[in-house]
Order: sequence, then structure tokens, then C-alpha cells
Amino acid sequence: MALPGQQVPENCPSFKLIIVGDGGTGKTTFVKRHLTGEFEKRYEPTIGVEVHPLDFFTNRGQIRFYCWDTAGQEKFGGLRDGYYIHGNCAIIMFDVTSRLTYKNVPTWHRDLCRVCENIPIVLCGNKVDVKNRQVKAKQVTFHRKKNLQYYEISAKSNYNFEKPFLYLARKLTGDPNLHFVESPALAPPEVTIDIEQQNKYEAEIAAAAAQPLPDDEDELLDS
Amino acid sequence: MAGGESGKVEDHASTTSAAAAEEEERTPEEEEDTGANFAPLVKLEEVAVSTGEEAENTLFEIKAKLYRFDKSRSEWKERGVGQVKLLEHKETKKIRLLMRQQRTLKICANHGVSPSITLQEHAGSDKSWVWHAIDFADGEQKDELFAMRFGSVESAEKFKNAFEEARSTMCELLGVKAENQEQEDENEEEDKEEEEVEGGFTVVKGMEKLKVEDGKDAKDAEEAAKQQETV
Repeated sequence: MALPGQQVPENCPSFKLIIVGDGGTGKTTFVKRHLTGEFEKRYEPTIGVEVHPLDFFTNRGQIRFYCWDTAGQEKFGGLRDGYYIHGNCAIIMFDVTSRLTYKNVPTWHRDLCRVCENIPIVLCGNKVDVKNRQVKAKQVTFHRKKNLQYYEISAKSNYNFEKPFLYLARKLTGDPNLHFVESPALAPPEVTIDIEQQNKYEAEIAAAAAQPLPDDEDELLDS
Repeated sequence: MAGGESGKVEDHASTTSAAAAEEEERTPEEEEDTGANFAPLVKLEEVAVSTGEEAENTLFEIKAKLYRFDKSRSEWKERGVGQVKLLEHKETKKIRLLMRQQRTLKICANHGVSPSITLQEHAGSDKSWVWHAIDFADGEQKDELFAMRFGSVESAEKFKNAFEEARSTMCELLGVKAENQEQEDENEEEDKEEEEVEGGFTVVKGMEKLKVEDGKDAKDAEEAAKQQETV
């Protein structure tokens, strides 16, 4: 996962990634998905900005994105231009189930480019898992005029969820063939549980096993 | 050719074609690179990939979805979807459970198949197992309650069988008597001092001395959970 507590190895290149877009388009959910794997359904608007380190292992070593997850809602916007300064790359997010969020993409792009000239930018149309989408793939044309990369994504189903990072990593390293590789799985230390703890865990398991799992759809778990 | 390249990454990550199928499910026109050319910010050398699994054999492998229990909210949260493996070390013969997120290949779960672990049923899903582990996915020991869901009841059964077999092996290896072997060697073991534990295994005298190495108590775990939430 994101290894927030883990020290960054020396020489691990890091990049400031700015994530912008209207409120409720899924910026925070997308970042959380990458940090912990969870999919957060509850909407809590981001205030100002939250910065999260996000690590990836590639065939050219470990790289780190400092994700600046910014407030989409105007009233929580905070510093805005101040957040953009020294940005190395960016993601502009909109919601394919809301036309307005796509209409506002040029504004986000303009604000971003005013501070960050010529950085690689990915436009993400999020929530493509929703059946009743309002912005069809064909209607998305803004990226062509502005030389942005476009991906349809779903933070919910994980569709294309790694693509924005892979694209940015390729541009930042200049290697069009860069790919993700297994992160080293260290041997877990020996663990021995005593009886008291074991009993405590048994009780916890029983309580947890009674709570429903978030979803029970089978998304291709069996081949 | 972004699609082709990431497809390559998938190949060794999954023996099943499920991941590939998912990838191919939609091969939209957006795959083309419409981005401008940028001067790269860094020049990085190619490095040898170290999976950390080089000294191990894969005993079992299947696609699954992993959840972790958020104690503070008392709810299950998704951790990842990908291949879960039971890996046996070629020399020490110790077996661990390792799961990686598909496509990013990051680690979702990494812990020994400890004799103390018993897979429990989940009340709402007959394709899932629940267990407790001191997990090392993040490179530090964490108290975790995991639930793993499989594509079918059969897959869940297969996993359980493989896991139980691995656990028996680990019991033998560590000198802990597994519950299911109890009857067979009852006579043999009679004179050894043992204590029966409800959790489904027997502790050989002397083992009580050993504690969980990170010494985390409930309070710590709670705090860690809180901390994680704020991250």
C-alpha cells in the first residue's frame, strides 16, 4: 500500500501531483483507493488540501507521488494557486454522471496552467461504472485540443485505476515502456500468540464476521 | 501502446486470465496517447526486480478480494483485489500468505500461516473466510482482521483446504499440535504437558513465554486504527 510510515529510500524520485476538479467528482475517493484499497462511499468535502505520499514500484525503481488532493468545492478552496506551485504533474477529474463537472474542466485547466506551465496532465472521467452516464466517451474532446491524456476510470470498480499514475510516471521518466513491478515482499517476522490474546481475537472475529461485506457482486473473481 | 505494456506486467502476476480479461473487457479508443511531449524530469536506470518471493515455492494461488475490519467504525473496508498465494520457503519450509493488488502489484497482505490462525465463516457470505493476523503488508506489524471473498463457494473451499494443509505443516514445523491431528497421536503425546486452547490448537508447554513480538496491546491497535483513518 502507500507505506506512509516507511522511509523513502535514498534517491527515490518524488513528484508533486496536483489533483483538481469539481467537488464530488471522486478525487479523495480515488486517492484513498490507492492508499488503503478502500472505497469510501460517504462524501465528506475536502477542506483546503490533503497531501498523501503514494509509492509505486517500477522497472526503474521506486517512485513517489506526493498527491495534493485539493478541495473541489469553491467555498472550501483555500489557497488554490498556492497549492499549484511547483507541481510536476496533474490529474483533472470530472464525473461522467454530471455534465456540469465536465463543463468546468477548462476552468480547472486554465487555473492549473497559469501556475504550472507545460506539465503532463491526465484528464479522468470518473464513475464510468454508473449505468446512466451523462457525458459519453465521444463527447469528451477537451483533451485533444490541450494535449492532455484522457482515461475513463471508476474508483468504485477499479477500472483503469492505475492508468493515470502509469501515464504520468512514463512521462516524468521519459520511458514509454515503464511498467509496475512487484514490490519486494519481505519475510514477515515470527509471531506467536498467547492464549489470552488468542481469546480476544476469537471474540473480535466473531463480532466482525457478523458485519456485512461492503458489496457482494462478483467482479470476475473467478476466471 | 499503453494497453499492451500494462498487459505484459499482468502476465507473471496472475496465472488466471481473469485480470487480462478485465483489461480487455473495454479496449476503448482513449488508450491512445494524446498527451504532449514533455522533457522527462528524471533519468532512471533499469533495475533488477526483487519480488522477495525468489526463495519460495508457490503452493497455491487464486484470485480473491480482501477486506480489513475497521474497528473504530466497526465495518469492513476493501483492501484489494488480486492473486493470493501460499508460499513455502525452499529452505526453512515456512509458509506465508501473500497477496498483491492486481496491476499495481503492491502488497495487500503478508503474514505467516501461523498455527493460531483459524479461518472462520462469514455470516453473510458463503464464499468468504474471516481470520485474524499480525500482518506485515506495510513493512510493520499490524493487528488485522481480514475477510477474503472468492469467486465461488468451490474456490473458497479450495482455498480453505490449501490453507489448512499449510497450517498443519506449520504446526509440525513449529512443534505445535494441530487440533485435527490430536486423535491420531494421542498415545504418543500423552506424557507431554499440554494445554488445550479454545482457538483450535494446542500449545506445547513453554510456548506461553513467547509473546507477540511487537507487544501491541489493544490500546495501541486502536490508536493505529485511528491514525490510519486520518491518513
